[in-house]
Formats: sequence, C-alpha cells, structure tokens
Amino acid sequence: MYLSTAFRAGRLKGIPLNNSLHNILFSSWIELAARWVLGATFIYASYSKILAPADFAKIIFGYDLFPASAINLAAIILPFVELIAGLALVIGVYPRSATLIINAMLLAFIVSLATNIIRGHEFDCGCFAINPDNPSNFPGTLLIRDLFFLALGILVFLYRKQRRLCISSTLKG
Amino acid sequence: MKTIKEISIILGLAFVLAFTVNYFSPTGIAVVGQWDTAQGVVTAKAKNDPVINEIEIATVDQARILYESGDYIFVDARSAEDYEAGHIKGAVSLPVGQFEDKIAGFLGQYPPEISIVTYCSGRTCLDSHQLADNLLEFGYEKVNVFIDGFPGWEAEGHPVE
Repeated sequence: MYLSTAFRAGRLKGIPLNNSLHNILFSSWIELAARWVLGATFIYASYSKILAPADFAKIIFGYDLFPASAINLAAIILPFVELIAGLALVIGVYPRSATLIINAMLLAFIVSLATNIIRGHEFDCGCFAINPDNPSNFPGTLLIRDLFFLALGILVFLYRKQRRLCISSTLKG
Repeated sequence: MKTIKEISIILGLAFVLAFTVNYFSPTGIAVVGQWDTAQGVVTAKAKNDPVINEIEIATVDQARILYESGDYIFVDARSAEDYEAGHIKGAVSLPVGQFEDKIAGFLGQYPPEISIVTYCSGRTCLDSHQLADNLLEFGYEKVNVFIDGFPGWEAEGHPVE
C-alpha cells in the first residue's frame, strides 16, 4: 500500500515535468523559431550557388562521391530545392512536406560529410559561400552544425498542433 | 498521400525554376559537364567558362619541349604564397586573383608578341585558363595553358625553384 502510494506520487510528479518539457519543446513559438531559422538558413545557402552554379558543380565534384553525369544536374537543381523548400518553411506553405525535403537533404549532407571525414578525403564543403580563397571549414564543425539543423527539422516535422503564421498548414499531412 | 502531393509540388516548382534560371542566366552551366581529368581540365561548361580546349598543352612532355625551347615565358596563375612555396624554374608570378593590380607591371615587362604558357595546380584548377583568357583580352596572342600545372611538372622531376 505504502509502496504503491509512493509509486503513484512519483508518477504524478513525473507527469507534469514531462509535460512541461514537452510543452516547451513543442510550443508554437519554438516551432515558429525553428522553422524560420531552418528556412532562412536554406534560402541563404542557396544564394551563392544560384549565382555561380559552375563553382558549386566543382565543389560537388570535389566531394568525389557522385557520378560525372549527375554533377551538373545536382548543381542546377539542388540550390533551387533549397530555395523553394526554405521559402515554404518561412512563409508556411506545406511546412511538414518542406521539412521532409530539407531533412532528406540534411541527411544526405551529413552522410557525404561523414564519408569524406572517415576516408580522410580533402574537400571544400561549399555549404554557404562559395569562396575559393577560404575553402576549408573544419568538417567536424560542419557535421555538428548539420546535426543541429536536422534536430530543428525533426522538431518542425514532429509538431502536430496549429502552426503560427502559416499560409497553409496540414495538421495531419 | 497528401505529403507526396505537396512534396511533388515543391520539387516540381524547384525543377522548373532551376532549369529556367539556368537557361537564361549568364552563369548557367551545361546539363552534363566535363569531369574526367584524363580528358583535360575539369569544368561544368558554364556559359562564362574560361576553358578553351584548343590552347591546352595536354602532357608534361609537351610542356617540357616548349620550356626547353626557351621561346616561352611560363606564367604562374596561383597565389603569391603558392608561388613562393615552389614554382616552375624561371616562371613569372601573375596571380589571377590580383590580375587587375599586376597586369600593368606585367605589360611593361613583357610585350604582347611573346609566347606565354600559363599554369596553376593541375586539372581541377581553372586559374590557368582564367589567366590565359585575361591575357588574350589584353592583347597577348600566343597563350597556351599547361593543364597539369605545377604538381605534374614537379612529379616528373623537371626544374623547380
């Protein structure tokens, strides 16, 4: 009887704590902040790649992971997927689907980065600015940064309540 | 199902926009690039691409013949630091990144009649081509690009300093 009461008390204490953590993480303001940070980051990241697709193609070539025939196509298409998906997040059009696309890209970046770190291949990340004079960000830092963005993406994806400042949002989509 | 539809809309819009912008952009690239180092300098084949295949010197041996003839000035397109760290013996430094600052001095020293061979750091480097383009624009007529650059030269044990 005593044990059971203590157990129940513990559980009762536990529930509000879990709930408050859940409420903070999944508050509509946190969702909005995560969505805007992620969206703005991807819009920003697309900018210099769109201006200089040849330089971006060379960076993809430098990763030494993709077939020659796919390099230019990736350099043409990827920046615009970043731009449109980023815009969709910021203005709140199909936020959940846009986050899926962005998470897929982040996963691909993380796998590419990790592969080249593991095999010790020297490369230029080309994540944001394409700057041949200052190519090397430390790959480990890039990996951590991408993992942070992926965490934001997962948060936005898992959020199931009404989103703030959205043009169109699918609650269950 | 709804998600698939939404993803298709986002990706479809991105694809259409991507190919439209690439088609009209002055920096647009070809759908397939040249990424085989065995065939020469790698390039995305952009509309503003500096690569002119006709002026390429494809092998170290050919470059060596031109070098031995003594009729060619070898011009190093890499940064001043790279040049200081090691360059083809007798080569002149003209970093493509500082071309505008340095071309006046270069013009003063080397008349447009001379024959030039530019080089940078190999077949994944476009600087030698960019420099060749710039030099052609400034009136030099006999400009060639040694595409294997300093690493290729050094690997064959040819004179460096």
